[in-house]
Amino acid sequence: MSFLTLTNVSFAYPNGYKAVDGVNMSFKKGESVAIVGQNGAGKTTTVKMMNGLLKPSEGDVLIDGWNTRDYTTAQISRKVGYVFQNPDDQIFHNDVYSEIEFGPRKLGLPEDQVKANVMKAAELAGVVPYLKDNPYNLPYSMRKFVTIASVIAMDSSVIILDEPTAGQDIPAMERLSHLIETLSKEGKTIITITHDMEFVVNNFQRVIVMANRRVIADDDKRSIFWELDVLEQAMLKQPHISRLSYSLGIGGNILTIPELADELAKHK
Amino acid sequence: MNNERSMLSRLYPTTKFFITITLCLAAFIVPGYGFSYAILPICMVLAYFAGSFKEFSNLAVKALLMIVVFIFILQCFFYPGKDIMWSWSIFSIKREGLEFALFLTSKIVAVASAFILFFRITKVKDLVYSLEQVGLPSKVTYVILSTLQLIPEMKKLTHVIMDAQKTRGVETEGKLFVRMKAFIPTLSPLILGSVASTEERVLTLESRAFSAKVKKSSIYKLEKTKLDRLVQILLLVLLVILIVWRVAL
Amino acid sequence: MSMITIKNLSYQYPISETDALKDVNVTIEKGKLYALVGANGGGKTTLCNVIRGFIPHFYKGDLRGEMLIEGKDIREWELGELSQKIGYVFQNPFTQISGVKDNVFEEIAFGLENLGMEPELIREKVAQVIEMLGIGYLRDKNPFELSGGQKQRVALASIIVMEPDVLVIDEPTSQLDPKGTEEVFKIIELMKKKGKTIILVEHKIELIAEYADYVILLNEGEVVMQGNTKEILTDERSLSFGAALPQYSMFGLEMRKRGMDLGTIPLTEKEAIEAVKAWMKKEVKA
Repeated sequence: MSFLTLTNVSFAYPNGYKAVDGVNMSFKKGESVAIVGQNGAGKTTTVKMMNGLLKPSEGDVLIDGWNTRDYTTAQISRKVGYVFQNPDDQIFHNDVYSEIEFGPRKLGLPEDQVKANVMKAAELAGVVPYLKDNPYNLPYSMRKFVTIASVIAMDSSVIILDEPTAGQDIPAMERLSHLIETLSKEGKTIITITHDMEFVVNNFQRVIVMANRRVIADDDKRSIFWELDVLEQAMLKQPHISRLSYSLGIGGNILTIPELADELAKHK
Repeated sequence: MNNERSMLSRLYPTTKFFITITLCLAAFIVPGYGFSYAILPICMVLAYFAGSFKEFSNLAVKALLMIVVFIFILQCFFYPGKDIMWSWSIFSIKREGLEFALFLTSKIVAVASAFILFFRITKVKDLVYSLEQVGLPSKVTYVILSTLQLIPEMKKLTHVIMDAQKTRGVETEGKLFVRMKAFIPTLSPLILGSVASTEERVLTLESRAFSAKVKKSSIYKLEKTKLDRLVQILLLVLLVILIVWRVAL
Repeated sequence: MSMITIKNLSYQYPISETDALKDVNVTIEKGKLYALVGANGGGKTTLCNVIRGFIPHFYKGDLRGEMLIEGKDIREWELGELSQKIGYVFQNPFTQISGVKDNVFEEIAFGLENLGMEPELIREKVAQVIEMLGIGYLRDKNPFELSGGQKQRVALASIIVMEPDVLVIDEPTSQLDPKGTEEVFKIIELMKKKGKTIILVEHKIELIAEYADYVILLNEGEVVMQGNTKEILTDERSLSFGAALPQYSMFGLEMRKRGMDLGTIPLTEKEAIEAVKAWMKKEVKA
């Protein structure tokens, strides 16, 4: 059963510039999906239509039976959470705890529920040690995790992460992986925009490729990353290990180091 | 933009400012309100020649109409006077009030149109350049220019922050009160964000040798031409004639 | 003489209680590309700030030890002088435009104007840089209206036009897409060819493997490993200090672990292809 569906969705700005053109997508509960493509391909515009920040100029976006045209973003926020690319656009409290607490409180949850949500979200995002700190004293990458926690705390069924991997180091990447895995096990739908192909390989099954305002492929990562003409059209590259396997002319559809080692072991 | 080519917009900023000042002075030298009101159409004509008739007229009419109507109502009814022209219940319009309102609004219209015209036909860049030429320190002109450039950026940023608020469950659409309530939380990221980016901008400026202790040069050039001279002399002559005529009266 | 010498350098930010840099010793040779790597909060950006002189000239705090640029201590350099010696490009493309210019050409010229250079000469130099970086199509655009990748290239151009000997580039691609990243690295490579000394902070480790001569690994304010790129980025110990290794090195290490040693730990794609081919030849024969 699809939980979130985009049917023939297009979006044009008031000045006539079309940012998304005839897009179809559908997501099940508990699915984690990566959206890849160059800037300007329409990724952010598309996800902004998923929580009603932008209303489609053509087509419909349905979330759990709601058409986004009939609801405000504030109302949709209980079903779809969206973490902005730049944390500084989002943070507006003087301490991390209040920042995370704002969303669930706004939803009118009972006091103990609010508290439980905040603690769970803070733990997942790894910001528990900073709950009393001013978010603006934390480094950029940690501020990003504060905004992730503040969206997780709203306990929406769908969570959209817009480029969470930008500027993150190894420990942060590991925290992101853990967080995505945990949430999707809980039945949440996680939609992530990223430029990091290794991150996609390690954390997602399904990949949607966008180029030129359209979806040009929507498939299992294994097919996508060996679909060379699709990648070329989107101006993307294969993950490093796939590229190496391709150059060596061995194995089909290799994505990871263990897979490549296994394949080579066969040659031995 | 075709105003690149028009003679009027090619004038040096100080010459343009001289036009504005002349118009203002003229409004006060010539008695009565008729001439002062006529400054607005005069400015419209000038704006037309500078290629920005529409922008000027829109702005001038919008800005002035409210003020003029408001002053008229206030002065007509509340200015003390005996010559009652029209009355209803406790309200009455007095001749003195009407005359004062005409006087006041005509001057406001004249001065405001002259200044709006100046800012419409002068690029900020040109204005700042000429200010630097007369010796304003580059730190001051930097603040003026960057502030003016940043206003549209701030506006964009406010929209982004509003969007972020919506996704956290803040209603920003609907009644004025709802919108007001939504406005407050946008302020702190806007302010904190600008403070943080100010620090980085200082480093940016430093990286570009802004504090180097030499006289700065500029690849952007504005020249005073013969036309500037001519216009300035003409304006001066016009002013003198006006003053003489007024004194002789 | 080395370009930059850092001896026993420690630094504490004004309101902090611990040192952000602890006893750092680094020598930077002319014309080489040095990559600073390690987990966030390890002191990479702080070190960049000292090299550029923002510490101690702009950020106060407690700076101990020596930091010599061409043999002269950083405290004795004037900030204005340093702008022609060391160029600095940083992470956020949005705050790196002057904010007072309405076209890219003048934006790039801004630094030279501040140096009081002859307008004719400025025009010439700006035109050269625009040509060299291939950004002619941006020339008349408003800097505010550029995409992140375009802004970052204009920021680089604005620094390069001032012809500094050293370029300090702090995470130039973290806000960019793959295409933008590639374009920025093309410029970095070009600058390296021109003989500039480059100090680069970057998380995309495969790119470092490709371009850097030396790697300096910082962890909690200390330089824990430094040496040539191959040595550091094929060493498993780097991982324990929070650094990443290129996929190709990780692959080589995995092969070794499985008893299928390639005989070398490859650093780049090219090396990996060669290593695997050589290995296959040997193994298939056996």
